[in-house]
Amino acid sequence: MTSVQVVAAVAVLAVPFLGADRYLLKVLTFVGVNTLIVLGLALLFGYAGQVSLGHAAFFGIGAYTSAYLSSALGLPWLVAVAAAVGLTACAGWAVAVPGLRLKGHYLAMATLGFNEIMSVAFVEARRFTGGNDGLGGVPFPSIGPYELDTPASLYLLVWGVALVALVGAANIVKSRPGRAMRALHCTEPGASACGIDVSSVKVRAFTLSAALAGLAGSLYAHTVGFISPTTFGLDLSILLVAAVVLGGRESLAGPVVAMAALTLLQYLGALVPGLSRQAAEAVQDWVPDIVGLTVVGVLIARSRGFRLRGRRGVPERGGQG
Amino acid sequence: MSLLSVRGLDKRFGGVHAVRDLSFDVHPQTIKALIGPNGAGKSTVFNLLTGFERPDAGSATFEGIDLTGRPPHETVRMGLARTFQESRLFDTMTVEENVLVGMHLRLSASFGLAAIRSPRVRREEREAREEAAHVMRLVGIDRYRDTRASDLPHGVRRLVELARALATRPRLLMLDEPAAGLDGRETADLGEVLLRVRDAGTAILVVEHDMGLVMGISDEVVVVDQGRKIAEGPPLIIQKDPAVLEAYLGEVSDGA
Repeated sequence: MTSVQVVAAVAVLAVPFLGADRYLLKVLTFVGVNTLIVLGLALLFGYAGQVSLGHAAFFGIGAYTSAYLSSALGLPWLVAVAAAVGLTACAGWAVAVPGLRLKGHYLAMATLGFNEIMSVAFVEARRFTGGNDGLGGVPFPSIGPYELDTPASLYLLVWGVALVALVGAANIVKSRPGRAMRALHCTEPGASACGIDVSSVKVRAFTLSAALAGLAGSLYAHTVGFISPTTFGLDLSILLVAAVVLGGRESLAGPVVAMAALTLLQYLGALVPGLSRQAAEAVQDWVPDIVGLTVVGVLIARSRGFRLRGRRGVPERGGQG
Repeated sequence: MSLLSVRGLDKRFGGVHAVRDLSFDVHPQTIKALIGPNGAGKSTVFNLLTGFERPDAGSATFEGIDLTGRPPHETVRMGLARTFQESRLFDTMTVEENVLVGMHLRLSASFGLAAIRSPRVRREEREAREEAAHVMRLVGIDRYRDTRASDLPHGVRRLVELARALATRPRLLMLDEPAAGLDGRETADLGEVLLRVRDAGTAILVVEHDMGLVMGISDEVVVVDQGRKIAEGPPLIIQKDPAVLEAYLGEVSDGA
């Protein structure tokens, strides 16, 4: 890691000790949860070039699995997390194997369909999900007698996991599997002529990406204690794709920063002191439009050869310079 | 014993009979050229051998193992490597990274091991970069190591494709018009690289229109026209073959 990255990581983890209030910590914890999901999508979409408009559904599968196992069945937190990640990975694999035969718009439509199906399932499978009323009473994360029940400790848990995932993703993209993803994004025949099993790499990337969303879902459920279907709708999936588009191809930092900005935009009213209620509501109402217009603007600017940043989100230092 | 043995290979695309009953062999440590007029089916032969197309009939065996019907990445595992007529470089990646992708099958880092950057992955990456440097020197592109492929001049792009294919450590290297778009000097350099590769123990099957290069480096030439083999033999004999002259120059009976 470079010194800049270390400083950034320390700064993120220092936030709870700087006297941030409970509400701000909660919002920033959501930013951490979304960071985890967008990391997975950045690998899948930004590196391997395979779009998914279904990541909110994987987020939901992780959240409901973890919530149900720990609140209804009373399983320990770590078991619930592991089961949530495992089940979401399986779901991701099950979507990827048939879905990745499709390309571009067709893959987008298939994953969008998956998100809609899961949205209905979260409402209709009342026995497990509580339907539209949601699922409450999800216990805080705990290991034995130790329970993380303060906003600060939950913040540190979520961001700790997110930072570990960020380092892991950065390691992946600079070695063999990362090169394979980038290669098949550029040209699939070229990649297979180098011995890359293109469909296998795609399925692995998709499964890993879904598993990260599932992990985020599990952390989210135990952080807020209550989940309901609207959180896991298409809106979030679109926001995630927008963040990766804004953040740039072959970048991790870009999508993470973009997703943080898009997440904070929704809480603008509460975060900016002195902003009138009407102004805050207006911004909230217009979030989808702001996002859409920004994406269009960025795409037009890029197509004219205008680049905001250098090529890499993760500078490679150390190793063989 | 031949390294690659093609027998009765046949392929139709709708009404076009692209490859007809084609048979030839490539022997170890030799350079074989596959030549013929445009549209003769040469690239189709490459696609059939490397799993990008399935033949309608016939077989191709490599070191005694049937190649047909295998997906492309498996043919690479068996020891074939190819380049494409139209460049298929990884444009967002540097030259070094392109060559490293060629080493994909010989590296082992999975998503999980790469994520935790285990000592084995670190060592593997370091060794891979050393070997990539060696391949880049062999082909003469080492000074472009950190250049993005999309920023390379055309001639260098062809060489990067060659380096990437060599990085798979093939026993048979298949090059589809490697000299296309190269100037005289670059073509001569390419010829020398190919001879060095052959002498290091790799057989080469090359599709090429530059007759100077073909006649200069090939041990044997196969000539195809409209999907059919019309001649096969050493370059000096092929140059005088009436069927070949006719295919290339049209009618030769009127006093050529």
